Amino acid sequence: MAGYAKVAANYNTATQKHLSPLGHGGPNGVYALVASRQIKKYGLEKSDYGHIAIAQREWAAKNPHAVYRAPLTMDEYLAAPLVADPLSRYDCVPVVAGAQAIIVARPDRAPKGRTGVRVRAHRASYNYDNQEGDGLQTGISTFANELWREAGAHPDDIDVASIYDDYPTMVLAQANDLGLIPGNDLARFCRVTIGEKRFPVNTWGGMLSAGQPGGHAGGLNGISEAVLQLQHRAGERQVKGARLALATGYGMTMYRYGGTAAAAILERVE
Amino acid sequence: MSAGITIWRCANCRAGFFPEPLLCPRCHGKKFETDRVHEAVVEEISVIRHMIGQENWQPRRIANVLSSDGPRMTVGLRDDSGPGATIELFEEGTAPFGQAKK
Repeated sequence: MAGYAKVAANYNTATQKHLSPLGHGGPNGVYALVASRQIKKYGLEKSDYGHIAIAQREWAAKNPHAVYRAPLTMDEYLAAPLVADPLSRYDCVPVVAGAQAIIVARPDRAPKGRTGVRVRAHRASYNYDNQEGDGLQTGISTFANELWREAGAHPDDIDVASIYDDYPTMVLAQANDLGLIPGNDLARFCRVTIGEKRFPVNTWGGMLSAGQPGGHAGGLNGISEAVLQLQHRAGERQVKGARLALATGYGMTMYRYGGTAAAAILERVE
Repeated sequence: MSAGITIWRCANCRAGFFPEPLLCPRCHGKKFETDRVHEAVVEEISVIRHMIGQENWQPRRIANVLSSDGPRMTVGLRDDSGPGATIELFEEGTAPFGQAKK
């Protein structure tokens, strides 16, 4: 962990000069402030974030590669020690060692009998607001309409979603940018859509339960899972009949929040 | 410790920034001059209760503040100032701090 602490303290020049000397706690401190803004703006309660952590832990129980697989209750979530107010232990992505690989190939090079997965549309955004906003909208907000149009799809068409989950706060921000949350009602999305398991998000457990390997492997988790789900190879956690998936990425915390965001719509090729 | 916090002002359009940008996002100017900002209003706070790799860590307060000259910044809080409070800003090295205005 000493190595990770060094990376967190020296992530970029702004962090090194202006944040680390405060004892800001790395990304936990940064996203604690973003979470406070989100709670205030959308009238959220702490337990709303809990629904995301708990639902993902339930998925993780079905993933033999997840680091944390034991069931998580709301009481345990709420009783967990605070790390950086209002974020507590289960709001913060655990750092793990790991790796991911995706092979992109022509259809005729795919293993015999293996269903292909195609990218219908993808977009990315870099530092769209120069860190002058509140961090509650990500760069996804700049391209979401275009992404759906190019994919010829609507948020309701998505069977399974991988939404980059370094913190539940950012799951909500990205989902909202993508139009997955009707009426910007983040609380209802947490309590009903996620809490009542109406929509499968981060079915491998998300990084919150499966762990966040550093570098690109963290972001690839969501894409790998989307591919497995569309190939109907996700084992116990398979979403029945999954044909269309969404995968997002978010990160490069420049100073007050992340500067990059990306999203892709993937489809099963019959 | 020195009073105020250094901000960077575009030499062309005078817009103020923190931290120092490489290019002015308003006019794409490349030249910046330093200025100082002395006051801010606290918007959100957090208490850092755990620090990776540290033992015997003592909780520290940080805040997102809106400076009187525009840029928002993250500062260390040296007292119990909460959201809505006006604070005075100061620097220790390159680190921005704040405390209740006297």
